[in-house]
Amino acid sequence: MHVSMKWLKELVDVDLTVEELVDRLDMTGTAVESVRAVGEGLDGVVVGSVLTKEPHPDADKLSYCSVDVGGDEPLRIVCGATNFEAGDCVPVACVGATLPGDFTIKKTKLRGLVSEGMMCSSPELGLGGDASGLLVLPPDAPVGMAFAEYLGQADTVVELEVTPNRPDCLSMVGVAREVAAITGKHATAPVSVPEESGVPVHDAVSVEIADPDLCSRYTARLIRGVSIGPSPEWLAERVTAAGARPVNNIVDITNLVMFELGQPLHAFDAATLALRDGKAAVTVRRAGAGERLTTLDGQERVLDPNMLVIADDSGAIALAGVMGGENTEVSDTTVDILLESACFEPTSTSLTSRSLGLISEASTRFERGVDAEGCVRAADRAAALMAEVAGGTIAPGVVDVYPVPAIPGVLEMRIDRMNAVLGTGIPAGEAAGILTALGLGVEPVGEGLLRVSVPTFRPDLEREIDLIEEVVRVWGMERVPVTLPGGRGRVGRLTSRQRWMRRIDGAMRAAGLNETMTYSFVDPGDHERIRMPLGEGETLVELVNPMSEEQAVMRISLLPGLLRSVSYNQRRGVPDVHLYEIGSVFSTSEGRKLPREHTAVGGVMAGMWSRPGWTGDDHPLDFFDGKGVIEALVDELSPRHFQVRPADLPWLQPGRSAEVLLEGKVAGWLGEVHPSVADAFEAEAPIVAFELDAGVLIATARPVRTYTEVPRYPAVTLDVALLVDEKVSAERVEHAMRKAGGPLLDSVRLFDVYRGKGVAEGRKSLAWALSYRAPDRTLSDDEVRPVHEKLLRKVCGAVGAELRS
Amino acid sequence: MSIITELESLRDSALERISQAADLAALDAVRVDVLGKKGSLTGVLRGLGALSAEERPAVGKVSNQVRAALERALEARKALLAEAALSARVAADAVDVTLPGRKRLPGRAHLINQITAEVVDIFTGLGYAIAEGPEAELDYYNFTALNHPPTHPARSATDTFYVRDLSEGGASGPITDVLLRTHTSPVQVRVLEQQKPPVYVLAPGRVYRRDIADPSHLPQFHQIEGLVVDEGITFGDLKGTLDYVCKELFGKDRKTRFRPHFFPFTEPSAEVDVSCGICAGSGCRFCKYTGWQEILGCGMVDPNVFGYVDIDPEVYTGFAFGMGVERIAALRYDIPDLRMLVEGDMRFLRQF
Ligand SMILES: [Zn+2]
Repeated sequence: MHVSMKWLKELVDVDLTVEELVDRLDMTGTAVESVRAVGEGLDGVVVGSVLTKEPHPDADKLSYCSVDVGGDEPLRIVCGATNFEAGDCVPVACVGATLPGDFTIKKTKLRGLVSEGMMCSSPELGLGGDASGLLVLPPDAPVGMAFAEYLGQADTVVELEVTPNRPDCLSMVGVAREVAAITGKHATAPVSVPEESGVPVHDAVSVEIADPDLCSRYTARLIRGVSIGPSPEWLAERVTAAGARPVNNIVDITNLVMFELGQPLHAFDAATLALRDGKAAVTVRRAGAGERLTTLDGQERVLDPNMLVIADDSGAIALAGVMGGENTEVSDTTVDILLESACFEPTSTSLTSRSLGLISEASTRFERGVDAEGCVRAADRAAALMAEVAGGTIAPGVVDVYPVPAIPGVLEMRIDRMNAVLGTGIPAGEAAGILTALGLGVEPVGEGLLRVSVPTFRPDLEREIDLIEEVVRVWGMERVPVTLPGGRGRVGRLTSRQRWMRRIDGAMRAAGLNETMTYSFVDPGDHERIRMPLGEGETLVELVNPMSEEQAVMRISLLPGLLRSVSYNQRRGVPDVHLYEIGSVFSTSEGRKLPREHTAVGGVMAGMWSRPGWTGDDHPLDFFDGKGVIEALVDELSPRHFQVRPADLPWLQPGRSAEVLLEGKVAGWLGEVHPSVADAFEAEAPIVAFELDAGVLIATARPVRTYTEVPRYPAVTLDVALLVDEKVSAERVEHAMRKAGGPLLDSVRLFDVYRGKGVAEGRKSLAWALSYRAPDRTLSDDEVRPVHEKLLRKVCGAVGAELRS
Repeated sequence: MSIITELESLRDSALERISQAADLAALDAVRVDVLGKKGSLTGVLRGLGALSAEERPAVGKVSNQVRAALERALEARKALLAEAALSARVAADAVDVTLPGRKRLPGRAHLINQITAEVVDIFTGLGYAIAEGPEAELDYYNFTALNHPPTHPARSATDTFYVRDLSEGGASGPITDVLLRTHTSPVQVRVLEQQKPPVYVLAPGRVYRRDIADPSHLPQFHQIEGLVVDEGITFGDLKGTLDYVCKELFGKDRKTRFRPHFFPFTEPSAEVDVSCGICAGSGCRFCKYTGWQEILGCGMVDPNVFGYVDIDPEVYTGFAFGMGVERIAALRYDIPDLRMLVEGDMRFLRQF
């Protein structure tokens, strides 16, 4: 809502500076989006008159004009707008002018033709309003006059952000009333008493509302004998200040009254309406399926029965509350005006305007709710202005069909309740004063109780709490004393799951990975790129309206996003990447409404832990660095059993690909990303990656570990190297050792893996340190030897190993 | 030369050699030469047997004295040399302490989660439990039960991501029953469905809106929702809570202000500004010359919301608030482009 201060001051005796008023509005619930002085920054912009307009020889969409700006020679200007003709007056920014947004006009060549300035639209001049074409001025605009001077200057326009609950503030009188209430002043509303003469409107117009659920009131007035022409300066100026474009005197008056009173009006050329029994017969009804209407913007619209139209016997003539029809549009030759002032239902207006992509000042107001009680007043005001400005005569009477009268609400407000909700001690008298100033009827009834009658222009006030809000916002939220809740029986805590998540998170970082976040939505192709199959019967979660095809489905894995991050770093010369992410992954299946959502813990590692330093102890990251991270996590969570098992996973490099099992359950996977998968994400292999399901991690984590006695006697440690086939895994050898070792075998540590000289092809040497220990005595070599030798015999038998000497 | 003179001269020369011994090896050589099995003193003593009984005690005494003196000297010299050897070894071990250490630095938490954890800790301290909800959510929880009318603009397909509904009879149009939650507020409803007052919860999480990613917008971001429902909760409690939290988050010297606003699910509602940290309230480009930075939205729980979850608004009142974590991050660190938060650039992530 654009509020001209000049206009506002005619409606309320506000004596604050603009800055003070803005502050007060901000602090009482009407946010101020911008404040601008009209005409500011318009140096070099003058009123020009278009002398000639020719098509640009080399560009279909441009025209080549000569424009008189009061100088010796007309300017030659190339222009892309289409809404003007030779003879029109428009604002022209001359070479050197700087428009809002720091845009300086220069002499340029456009498709080969010199252009010496720019003809401007309203927004280009910082005036808001219609950006689709030039701001065409009335033909009597003085050519050559500085545009700021022409606009009348010395006005400040304050743009208010009107919240959806305050339709009344989409009008100047509503804003004036609000300003009066918050500044302790008085607002006045303009009243016009139309002078009527001639044949009464009832003899010329009939109105029927077929669907009263969508139209609670429809009034019509008839103004005869108007002469259509440009608006006088005061009218054009006002409409411009409110953000609209002057069109002609009749349209400008309907706009003026809409801005002033909040009631959208529509003017029909009465002569274009079909007659029934000698009367223009207006019907308000739902559109027929497939019914067509060409709206004022020249577009043919196909309608459906959810939309409300104004019709005569020939068909639809306007889309109710949204836009008029071309067939009944006011034109230069219009003589009689049928003026509509009606109240259409918000939801239906909103759906209609959105489904047709037609959002107008009128639809915006109907969508939020227009006061049915104000229809006649607005019609009277507009009719009187039309008589005054366009020289018409007003037919006596108003056709007023009002099947669903708006009833002022009556509410009660308990002062105790108000203070209990707010935590204040506002006296009844003060609260009553605030509500009265807002235009509500207030009557104290009994101890601490106010009976409040709510005028129909405040449909948002329906409950006691609504009144409480009105009191506190005007009384001042800043005056409410600050307290902290003192409630009993509350416990601040994290759930067990949340505490585990913190430990998982901490373990990832302790292991050296940095947390990142990637998009939850991904390219549907990503899942083909990683070749990761969905579970049995599962499908991807698709967005109905993604921002782009690259973000059209929800991720089933963190891997694609993490691979993109690896690529992002590598392409920027950052080779060492250690990232993890904890986030939701999604899948769904036929028959489901809500998708399945799991928390995944994923990581990627590429390059080295750090570039080799002077200590020379770094290495390219590989499978075992990833496994080390998982082992560190396992150490933190302490599941009873942990296993990494070879697995063929298509997105991982064969042979460096494994499943992670916790207590026998698959918790996720680990491996080096398949080089061709890395390639598909423009990332460079080797990349180590893993992903674990947080649910399994937590389900298998042990909250309390078991105590085992700290050894008191020394261990005897014996080393042995075993030659085994390549296909024998270290895990298998270790198992065999533990199985054969008996109670004295305390620990087993693999300290070397060797292939090459001295070891046959297809075999490898695994070197182990075996520690034997007894809980109650120091073992002697003599006691250990036989145990050790027995172990070796058994292991060699079990895994086909031989001792390497 | 008498044997005593011989002993004394042997002593003197040995003492001389001891004092000259440059290291422990040389010293040990002296010891072996003099006191060893074939040593010179040992040799002299071996000759004692040839002495007369009268001479023997005197010579024996002197020889014992010589042996003792030599052993003392050896010990002393040994200690001296050992200390010198240690000093030398230590000196040789000196390092350039300015060389970098051997380290594997722990990773860093993402900025957004650091802030979230900080807020969570503040509120658990205030007695709040932490709640969570799904990111793919039902329209009912995201809008309807939060008192959004059917035509509320946020419900449009231009503002909200809708998810294909695969249930039987699920809507097939552009607007379905399932969406990516646009705020963390649906958790309010889910909590109130499951828990009767008193309720003190905080719900952090990821939310989605159809904004094109640019320096100040992301189609996914994070919010922290707070909800309190109890007997006797007032607007003053809401003010006090948020004032406390803002001071904890931004500094004790920061002020808050509450501007009345409109949200469908709270009433009265307010937007909360915190005094600008750059200019301390005098106005600068970061606060658009207002001295204030908008930080969150809040209000008293609307009785209609209580209606959806069957709580008597005459008995219980409550407040709710929601803050944008990215917004806090941007204010705190003056981050020029929010997209950096989702790029995973190691050089960015390691900074926080
Ligand atoms: Zn500032």
